Amino acid sequence: MLDFLQAVSDGVLFGATYALIGIGFTLVFGVMHKINMAYAAASVGGAYCGLLVLKVMGSAPPALVFLGAFAAGGLLGWIVYVACFHFIPLSSPLATLMSTVGMLLLIDEVIVHVTEGVPLTYPAAFDDVMLRMGEFTMRGDLLLVFGVAVLCMAALLLLLYRTKLGLATRAVSQQPVAARLCGIRLERVNATTFIITGLLGGIAGALIGASVGALSPLLTTPLTVKGLIVTVIGGLGSIPGAIVAGLLVGGFESVLQMYRGVTERDLYVMLLLFVFLVFRPGGIFAAKGGRD
Amino acid sequence: MDFYFGLAQIVGVHTLLGLSAYIVLLTGQVSLAQAGFFAVGAYTAGMLTVLAGWHLVPALGASALSGAAIACAVGFPALRVKGLMLVIATLAFGEGVRLFFFNFDYQIARGDIKVGPLGGEGFRQIRFFPENGWTTGEVMLFIWLFVVAAMALLWWFDRSRYGSVLRAVGEDELAAQSVGINLTAVKVSAMTIGGAIAGVGGGLYAHYTTHIEHTSFNILVATFAVAYPIVGGLRNVFGTLLAVIFVQAFLIEGLRFLGDWRNLLFGALIVLAMNLRPSGFLGARRRA
Repeated sequence: MLDFLQAVSDGVLFGATYALIGIGFTLVFGVMHKINMAYAAASVGGAYCGLLVLKVMGSAPPALVFLGAFAAGGLLGWIVYVACFHFIPLSSPLATLMSTVGMLLLIDEVIVHVTEGVPLTYPAAFDDVMLRMGEFTMRGDLLLVFGVAVLCMAALLLLLYRTKLGLATRAVSQQPVAARLCGIRLERVNATTFIITGLLGGIAGALIGASVGALSPLLTTPLTVKGLIVTVIGGLGSIPGAIVAGLLVGGFESVLQMYRGVTERDLYVMLLLFVFLVFRPGGIFAAKGGRD
Repeated sequence: MDFYFGLAQIVGVHTLLGLSAYIVLLTGQVSLAQAGFFAVGAYTAGMLTVLAGWHLVPALGASALSGAAIACAVGFPALRVKGLMLVIATLAFGEGVRLFFFNFDYQIARGDIKVGPLGGEGFRQIRFFPENGWTTGEVMLFIWLFVVAAMALLWWFDRSRYGSVLRAVGEDELAAQSVGINLTAVKVSAMTIGGAIAGVGGGLYAHYTTHIEHTSFNILVATFAVAYPIVGGLRNVFGTLLAVIFVQAFLIEGLRFLGDWRNLLFGALIVLAMNLRPSGFLGARRRA
């Protein structure tokens, strides 16, 4: 029983990063009704760029590396927007799907090329801290991951519901034409959404790097798949859904990792997705009125 | 000459992969599960010829059946959702199949070596062609027999009532439903036929490479499968063939002199192509 609780708590703490990735997918979907397949790759790319801080400055506190990843993620988000969305008409959904998949492959290959495919160690913070309650422990670095992720989510929700920019973003996601008639510049809102999700992604990538201890290009595919699964389970376009689903997937995979081993664990996450598709295709927080 | 025969084999197998995505795409659905059906077909045929000692032709039939059965089984839950949700569901399925074969061990001893799939190590020694003394040219002709058959079948579909129904669903689901077309039946049948074609393609692939492993069926292969018909356009089956030749013969073999940089160029070229021609080389003619 204790092992089980331990696995759940570790998984839920790590699941916060999945929630962040899921939010990125879901936010872009909410605003543009498009999926940005390159998102997880760009997030990992942002985390890699954070390592540049170490390279330039010799040694730097982990916080600075995280900040670098944060900024680089935003920049990469903007690049993805310009390369894959800006010039392609909204009426061809297949084209943006393919262009973002192309971008996913490109980012992946650039990472492999630059790092020669060798995993790089990532600086961790609080990895020597351990909270103990009898047999039950909580890893300090995972707590940090969770804390930072929660802070990011709170900041995002504040931005969306308390600022003019957030109002414009929500307006565009509900009624693009009406939003435009009110004088909201669609392109600018779209680009801003990509930058915001990119910033979140950069942080998520850095947090994953810090808690795993290393970054590898092999991370991009599972992260893409899991981020998308989180998005579907939470309900496409729903931010609270992505948060809940991220934590759920994190806990679920951690428990199965304990019982079935690391190589089989992802298989059960896919099965979880299919269970949701069969019994609750709209996700936990299904949007009203069957949107595509 | 063997080099060109080998290239023709690759083009043939990838054409089958592309055609399997083409028929699903006709109904307006983007499926990233084709690599999964391809994998199922490859492992089925490989295990039947190596472990059970079957001849290749019935083994390929079994691949087609298993690919079709899995596609049909996936089709029902997955097609409850549409559009982008389906992309995600099929992507997850494809990764699931890959992970399944990553964990799949089934070896039997034959002589002093063990044969059969061995998890992450893959499935070696699928030696039906060399054991029976087929030359590269004969293997190529054998593969192209299936390619031509699949192309002829889909060409005929395009000219039949069934093809019109597929395209009607792809153009406008609501309109198709209102004239009494059963959307689920049409989509699942397209998925099933696609699964069968991908299964045969996988069976052939397993036998000409003689070694398959889970990474041979990753997200890149799934992307290739849908990229062919999208890049080639949906006007007819030749768009897919054209795209396969362009990608496999020109981009991959023709640019080999670029070394590592070729892979970089590949992603960038997809991005560029989609910016320039959002509806493919041979875009489907839209009737107003």
